[in-house]
Amino acid sequence: MSNYIERFSTSERVLHWIVTASFFTLLLSGLGLYSRLFTGYFTFFGGGQNAILVHKIGGVIFFFSSLYMYFNHKKDVSTFDEDDKEWVTKQGGYLSRDEAHFNIGKYNPGQKLFALYVAAATVVLGITGVFIWMPVLFPRWIVQLSLLTHGLIFVGSIMFVIVHVYLATIGNPGTIGSMLYGDVKKNWAKKHHPKWYKESTTENH
Amino acid sequence: MAETINQATRKGFLVDTSRCIGCRSCQVACKQWNKLEADKTSNKGTFENPRDLTPALYNRIKFIEKETSGAISWLFFNERCMHCGDAGCMKVCPSPGALYRTNDGIVAYNKDKCISCKYCVSACPFNIPRYGTDDKVSKCNLCLDRISGGMVPACAKACPTETLKYGKRSDLIAKAKGAKKALYGESDLNGLGVVYALEGPPEQYGLPENPSIPLSIFLWKDVIKPLGILGFWGSIGAMLLHYVTIGPKNIEDDEEGKGGGHE
Repeated sequence: MSNYIERFSTSERVLHWIVTASFFTLLLSGLGLYSRLFTGYFTFFGGGQNAILVHKIGGVIFFFSSLYMYFNHKKDVSTFDEDDKEWVTKQGGYLSRDEAHFNIGKYNPGQKLFALYVAAATVVLGITGVFIWMPVLFPRWIVQLSLLTHGLIFVGSIMFVIVHVYLATIGNPGTIGSMLYGDVKKNWAKKHHPKWYKESTTENH
Repeated sequence: MAETINQATRKGFLVDTSRCIGCRSCQVACKQWNKLEADKTSNKGTFENPRDLTPALYNRIKFIEKETSGAISWLFFNERCMHCGDAGCMKVCPSPGALYRTNDGIVAYNKDKCISCKYCVSACPFNIPRYGTDDKVSKCNLCLDRISGGMVPACAKACPTETLKYGKRSDLIAKAKGAKKALYGESDLNGLGVVYALEGPPEQYGLPENPSIPLSIFLWKDVIKPLGILGFWGSIGAMLLHYVTIGPKNIEDDEEGKGGGHE
């Protein structure tokens, strides 16, 4: 018997890495636009004008792939149950060394919150991005508000992404494999997502 | 502010609107010297022409019609880049050297360094910068090529009534104050490079009473930007701290052998 269980299908993994690649492309090409402190990042793209072009192309790819990813997982990330409440009240056991067990489905509330934030951020960054892209076509106050909002939502995104990367790698050993080759150890599934483990093992017999 | 401005030697304009006769010599001279194309315009029933600044029109006379007890009178206003002491365009410009301040305190620009982001359009307190077919910033640069050669800007040279006076800003202000003129822009935004002696309240000319960098731009550049950098490093620090204090959630590897079927 295999010690492993599939967590993400091939198409889910490819989609995730398209979103990841476009996110970091947007980060690198946008840093120079965020502040003159980071003007050096423009040189990666051969100047500011090219960085803006890359930012626009990356933005379109990110917008559609990220939204597609959300709708792909909408069922699993947009509902919260009683077991999720228990997880929230005990912060998922992340603030203590004590063993904690939660009857969690495919995603825990933290992961759901991250997914929902990314989906909302994608919409807001996309819309404000269009206003910033073509500022002379819109009233000045809309573009001014968009510049502010685009920066604010980006800051939230990068902070969330840092937490996401930590928890998916060194914070929870055994997790990263799910996004690399798709499988996790059964022990990992039993510990972190017991409800999901039970459901997926009974479904497949 | 990134760069300091020397208020004592700063150059600028004093525009005494009461002297203006609306001849628009300034508009024409500017076009001639800067080799700017003519703009297509349309008749909207007033003498004001063109109706707005364009990428090929760096300064223009705004005609404000006023009716007092049946009689029509005009107010003339020379609209152009104000060369703010604290310039919103320079604050947001992400391309070093695209918008820059000269030793005379003028907000000049270099089209070769402009990256066409158009942030300056949103940040200007007076809605001045324009983008043309070259997709680069354009606005009045106070005839930088003329003044660096010791000449006065083309508009001031052409003005027949001395409405537009160019010179050392502090001298121009002192002289206007001596003539008991009420001034607009003397201290707003760290002093405008173009100071006006108006014939009425600023609103009458479509000017903000207390011009300032738009609030959203201030929040973006002075609040969100530094807090965002703090948030970035704070998040990384928090994760590292979590790792060395509480630590990772390890799974029991010893059970692995037993794993599999039996739950």
